Amino acid sequence: MTQTAALLSTEAISSPKPRRRSALGGLLVAPLGLWLLAAFALPLGVVTLLSFQPTADLFEPLSLLPSLEQYGLIIGDGYYRTIFFDTLLLGAGVSVISAVLGYPIALWLVRLPPRWRAAGVALILVPLLTNVVVRSLGIMLILSPAGVVSQIVTFFGLPEPRLLFNWFSVGVALIQVFLPYMVMSLYDSLQSVDRRVEEAAASLGAPPIQRFFSVILPLSLPGLRSGLVIVFLMTSTAYVSATLLGGKNVWTSGMVVFEEAIQLLNHPKASAMAMLMLVASLAASALIGWVIGRLMPWTSGKRPLSLPRLELPTALAHGASAVIEALGPWVARLLLLLSMAMLLFPMVLVVVSSVNDSPQATVATFVGFTWKWYGLIFDNVRYIDAFIVSLQLAFASVIVALALSLPAAFALARHPLPGREIIMAMFMLPLALPGIAIALGMLRLLQWFMEIPPFLGLLAVHVVLIAPFTLALLRTSVAQLDKTLEEAGAGLGAGPFDRLRYIILPQLTPGMLAAGIIGFLISFGEVTVTAFLTTARMQTLPVRIYAEATFSLENTVNAVSTLIILMTVLLLIGVNRFVRLDRVWHR
Amino acid sequence: MTDFSSNISRRRFGKLALAASSALVTPAIFTRSANAQIKKGDELTVGIWGGAQERITREFIAKPLEEKYGVRINFVLGGTPDRRSRAYAERGRPSFDVIYLNIFESRQAVRDRVTQPASESVPAYEHLYDIARQGGYGVAFNPVTIVYDKTKVEPITSWKDLWRPELRGRIIWPTYPGAQGTAALLMTAKVWGGSETDIDIAFKKIAELKPFPALQGSQDQLFTMFDQKIGDVSIEFGSFTRSYAESRNPNIAIATPEEGQAVAMNVACITEGTPHQKLAEEWVNLHLSEPCQLAYSREIYYSPTVKNITMPDDLREKLIVGEEQVATLVDFDWDVVVKNQSAWTQRFNREITS
Repeated sequence: MTQTAALLSTEAISSPKPRRRSALGGLLVAPLGLWLLAAFALPLGVVTLLSFQPTADLFEPLSLLPSLEQYGLIIGDGYYRTIFFDTLLLGAGVSVISAVLGYPIALWLVRLPPRWRAAGVALILVPLLTNVVVRSLGIMLILSPAGVVSQIVTFFGLPEPRLLFNWFSVGVALIQVFLPYMVMSLYDSLQSVDRRVEEAAASLGAPPIQRFFSVILPLSLPGLRSGLVIVFLMTSTAYVSATLLGGKNVWTSGMVVFEEAIQLLNHPKASAMAMLMLVASLAASALIGWVIGRLMPWTSGKRPLSLPRLELPTALAHGASAVIEALGPWVARLLLLLSMAMLLFPMVLVVVSSVNDSPQATVATFVGFTWKWYGLIFDNVRYIDAFIVSLQLAFASVIVALALSLPAAFALARHPLPGREIIMAMFMLPLALPGIAIALGMLRLLQWFMEIPPFLGLLAVHVVLIAPFTLALLRTSVAQLDKTLEEAGAGLGAGPFDRLRYIILPQLTPGMLAAGIIGFLISFGEVTVTAFLTTARMQTLPVRIYAEATFSLENTVNAVSTLIILMTVLLLIGVNRFVRLDRVWHR
Repeated sequence: MTDFSSNISRRRFGKLALAASSALVTPAIFTRSANAQIKKGDELTVGIWGGAQERITREFIAKPLEEKYGVRINFVLGGTPDRRSRAYAERGRPSFDVIYLNIFESRQAVRDRVTQPASESVPAYEHLYDIARQGGYGVAFNPVTIVYDKTKVEPITSWKDLWRPELRGRIIWPTYPGAQGTAALLMTAKVWGGSETDIDIAFKKIAELKPFPALQGSQDQLFTMFDQKIGDVSIEFGSFTRSYAESRNPNIAIATPEEGQAVAMNVACITEGTPHQKLAEEWVNLHLSEPCQLAYSREIYYSPTVKNITMPDDLREKLIVGEEQVATLVDFDWDVVVKNQSAWTQRFNREITS
């Protein structure tokens, strides 16, 4: 019970000087706050200003007198209202299903022997390492009339289902790509759950499913909270997958923003839509935070949310529980298999396509074996240049983001800051604003931006884009630190820096790694905003690939993805040799 | 001091703030020297699509220019909407010297003073077909037509054939706006008695074809849909579809409707205010040279926009070559089209996609 006790002690024992602790908290949040102010508030300000413009004329001087014209156009129009609420529903659905599929994977990962764990993590991250076009092709192959699912359904004599180009296929695509975020978030939380707690429950006779719902789930709620928020925000701003797999039968708010901003050059309307999305997403994530906070009365000290309890006659309850316990583990295994298949299928497709001698990358049939796509990468210096730029940028962004988020995470998890959830929500803003709107803001600031050295400019923006992730994940890790260890250290005479060096940082390593890896992959793969900021001299690899895709995608893309997957697996296995990805001291 | 500032109204303050901030930006504009002649070490920035387009222009334009003048050519690769947005945001002080746009966007860009109209200072101008002299320099014809699976669909000879009852539910319509969707909408209006100024009939007729199994937003997406048997007919660039048919799917046929194919064209546009005017003109001139035009024709079946090209016979039948054939391409009043783009998009999204 050390974990829970520690959590209790952190919050329940009142600090001697709350005002000083609060001031210190403010100081710890400041660096991240200032960075966001410099690199994010400006484009956001531009988007806000644009959203209050009365007309859509691009060359009209901006009016500083706010007009609600654009908001009126959107809110007054049933067409946009429908899209708006559909998008929020999609976000809710995708985040809940990701959680249901994420738990079996995260639990499987936690229970893997430590030496296999790095490979396990690498497998989970595969969808983040593959190009969105190729990933969508994978989903299309599974769901098409000639695909696996249809064949199974018709084999049982049922009518052929229509699975593609509707909300279902868009949902599947989004779950596939956002599931890793959920898993990483849950994984970090789950592995800090003391196994002895579960063993205690087992020795008292609690069967597996009951153990999950009454022990594991409540203790992993902080991870669930960050996972749900991240997945919800990303889903509600997504537009590429929705465009590729919705076949335009599906419309999301993000697609409207893209169409208005980039295709029709109607910046004010796009901005107004983006602002509305921002507000709705923030409200939704605050709601998620509040509900889960109330489900964890031991951290907030507030009255728990009273859930209605189903009162069944004892015999019936026993029967139901027996059935659940008998079926539960099988359902969990099935879910695990299903989600792993979904995560890994694109990887198989990517690797096979990388040696496929077909003219375009989106070909489903195997034409013949060739190494030529790999040859093309190494022949072309520009791929290598772009790769190096991407690598440098991702490394630099992760280091800066971690350095800024760590103190902020401490402040948010431990210090009695007034309006903690509001500050947290502010820090999540970059995630809630569609990438295309950030790009739009940047577009208007382009002249100033071009005066900044390109690398620095890209770094500033990439830190803004990954800081919400690093912060959400690190906040979870810090909240779950075992404070008794620090107290023991202090009791033995260790000063604050020794405690940081020998007690806190080692405990945080897995969390920092998880945050770092996710941050690295996001920075490495970012296209939407980066495409507008790259100059002729500095181009990242994904922007290059995306540029090829605007014409016709060749299999070099898959060769690049295969190499990146290989590199990630090797990197993670290498890292695992030096830094354990788990927290062994819990045993 | 306090009295003074309290007298400033909010609006006035805003204006002052704007003036102050624009004063901060001005130096950046003036530091660029107006350097029209070609100098060694000059850098030309070109915004173009990736893939084969980048490869061809690198080999036939960038390399010769770099060798001849000791200049450096920078490519910024991406889709049309991206570079168009950027060029508009940078009007008058462009970071691009040459950008490539579609036919309707290019004419609008000239009118918005983002890019320059075509002129005789590019020597190849005299060989351009008239239609390729508007909105910059047309560098390739890439007409849009009906494409279909000939094993499942009776031969198509007219745009009206799309309304044959047996094709209901099998047509993959192209999304609007976009080159293919624009052509599809305008051709529908034309063959059913409407026009770009009388578009109502087009929306009505397209709505009659619903439900669509899906709508396609790009040729790659369409080809995957054909591969996956989502539908049997669509409206697409003939050029890419020919590559697709030859390499992946021999069942696909490219129709030559009696009403003609809808014109679509890639246009090289020199930006307004470029500091490298001469070099940009050299670039465009090389793009219109025979080796470059032939490379485009051979690799991706683009048709030349200049009259002085000797086309090998094996390619001729797959392309639009010569005054007579170019005259069959259906052209539209693109000013009207662009002016209505936003309104038509609204209608398309409401009446066709949902």
